[in-house]
Amino acid sequence: MAHDPRREDYQRLSLRFAEELDKGDPADAARAFASFGRRFAQDRDGLPQTDADRAFHLVAMASDVVDRRLPFASDEQAPDLIKRGKELLEEALRLDPACHDATRMLSSSRTASIDERYRFLSDHADEVRASCEQARDQALGELSDERAALAADIAMRPYWRWLASLAEEALICGRNRVAIDVSERLLASDPRDTSDVRFTLAYALAKLEDLQGWLALTKRYAALASGRPADDAWTLLAGASLAFHNGNPMVARTGIEKLLRRYPGGAMTLIRQAELPDGEFARLHVAPYSEDELILAVSEGIVLLQEGTDRSGRGTFGAWVAREAARIDPKAAREAMAAREGGQQS
Amino acid sequence: MNAWDELVERCAQRRLKKLGPLSDEAYAELVLAVRENPESFIEHTPERAMLVIARALDAYRASCRNDDLLDDAAFEEERSRRLAKAHAEFTLAREIDESSLDACLLELLTEDRDPDLLFRGLIELERDFSSDELPPGDAWDDVFYRPHLRLRAALARTCLDTARYGIAERAATSVMDASPSDPLGARHTCALALARLEDEKGFDALDARFSRQGDPWSHLARVILLYKLDRMSAARRALRGFDQLCRGGAYALLRPTYVEPYLPDRPDVTPGGFEESVFAVREAEPIIADVPDFINWCQGHDWLVASARRFAEKNDLDW
Repeated sequence: MAHDPRREDYQRLSLRFAEELDKGDPADAARAFASFGRRFAQDRDGLPQTDADRAFHLVAMASDVVDRRLPFASDEQAPDLIKRGKELLEEALRLDPACHDATRMLSSSRTASIDERYRFLSDHADEVRASCEQARDQALGELSDERAALAADIAMRPYWRWLASLAEEALICGRNRVAIDVSERLLASDPRDTSDVRFTLAYALAKLEDLQGWLALTKRYAALASGRPADDAWTLLAGASLAFHNGNPMVARTGIEKLLRRYPGGAMTLIRQAELPDGEFARLHVAPYSEDELILAVSEGIVLLQEGTDRSGRGTFGAWVAREAARIDPKAAREAMAAREGGQQS
Repeated sequence: MNAWDELVERCAQRRLKKLGPLSDEAYAELVLAVRENPESFIEHTPERAMLVIARALDAYRASCRNDDLLDDAAFEEERSRRLAKAHAEFTLAREIDESSLDACLLELLTEDRDPDLLFRGLIELERDFSSDELPPGDAWDDVFYRPHLRLRAALARTCLDTARYGIAERAATSVMDASPSDPLGARHTCALALARLEDEKGFDALDARFSRQGDPWSHLARVILLYKLDRMSAARRALRGFDQLCRGGAYALLRPTYVEPYLPDRPDVTPGGFEESVFAVREAEPIIADVPDFINWCQGHDWLVASARRFAEKNDLDW
């Protein structure tokens, strides 16, 4: 699933376009709709759209800048990209003050600490829900059938992303019960789990060493219409963490082996345990079971890996995971070692 | 651990067994006689090992006193040297009596292992010394059983250091169940573990079990728990309680210092004194680190900072 800003931008305008066509001749409409894709790509401004649609387009552009380009930018390029991202989001808010995505994305640079950002997201969650629900109800009143369903879905997504960010922020702040509550609120509002918040939920349950809760969650995966079994990197890492911290290293070891079978070649990622900034728009949209997905899960998993006193500075579980990965894949361990030495020399 | 007291008690009890029943007065006199000259009453290897332990602990504690004057490198060197010396003595004690759990535990604790390796060592010790049945009544009253309680309490604390909170809580609870008077303070470890697990019900039950007496550990654990549960007004009140009820608590929290490894348990300090606050903060360290903005939030309260500064000035501490 996951949120894809470009796809959403396209969906918004195609809905609007279809709405306009309804007003005219059906025969013309079919022909006109065939041209939509081309016009979206080449003549976006000429398509019918509201200020909210324009604002969302700016959000999509900002996502491209801060989530896709910034992580790969050089130190010289970074400040410009950050500035550009902010300008796009501020412009979005000028067009549509109810652009919750822009407000949420800007909040990470406007708040001084993760605690403050958590507070901001938490304080405004109900407001955002009310606003999105109003937009949804309006869409349901004006449209019918499939279009109504899509429009209602689109109307709610900013709220879902808001809750997903809040859950992640709560997890980082060490507020695991809050993270669980928020995740459940999100799943109640969006049972298809567009935001993949169950990954955050799995980590929060692991933090609380709630094995039963984690098992119960994995059994719900089939009912959540995500189309994925409970064998993603988040779920497996959470399971290994639960076993490890409960004094079952053999079970934890099996979990890591399973994880590396699902993500072949992932040992290096488990050894390096790099922490990356979270996606601002949403968790980055990557291919299931790809190396990128494992990198994301490990980065978010720092809350599990880095806990406890360990002289290597990795945390108790983190040091153990790195050792296990090196044992399973000695070649990756040698490469990681060489990369680290190379890094120290340069 | 007061090894001399335990040595005296062990020798007196061995002698009592040999002599047969004594009146309370006669037993008290026997204890006095042993206390006068414990060495002359030592007849078995376990007590011979205990004597080595008692002397080594004295020497270790005496050598800890002059650290304030050292710079970092010299301190680190001195610390390693001191631990190595104690380790050698505890190895000697273990060689005298392989069945001495105290000697094995102290030998392990002075190995200066990484906490995760220490955890594994403690689990192995638990397995090797698991045969003893629990004595009736408060297990602490049986001086020969105390090493088992010490091992469990050390295991619980090491679990806290290695982020194994569920095991920490269970191990600490088993110490309290065996010895409800809890002279080892396993309840402190338990309180911190429950706070980290955000288990409010469990925390409250523990607090009630000890009649809500309050101590730096439980006060600090309550602040962390409420902060984690995002009940910020209550967390603020708890922070104020910690500041007002724990001597030097604010200072200990805002200016954490290095604490020597416990050999084998928390050193005896004045109840309600500053050192207790220092110990509580040290033991809570991994949990505090897991709540990244917690200390910032604490520092945001001017009265807390002012209280810490006042304490520093009054006691001639760095600020």
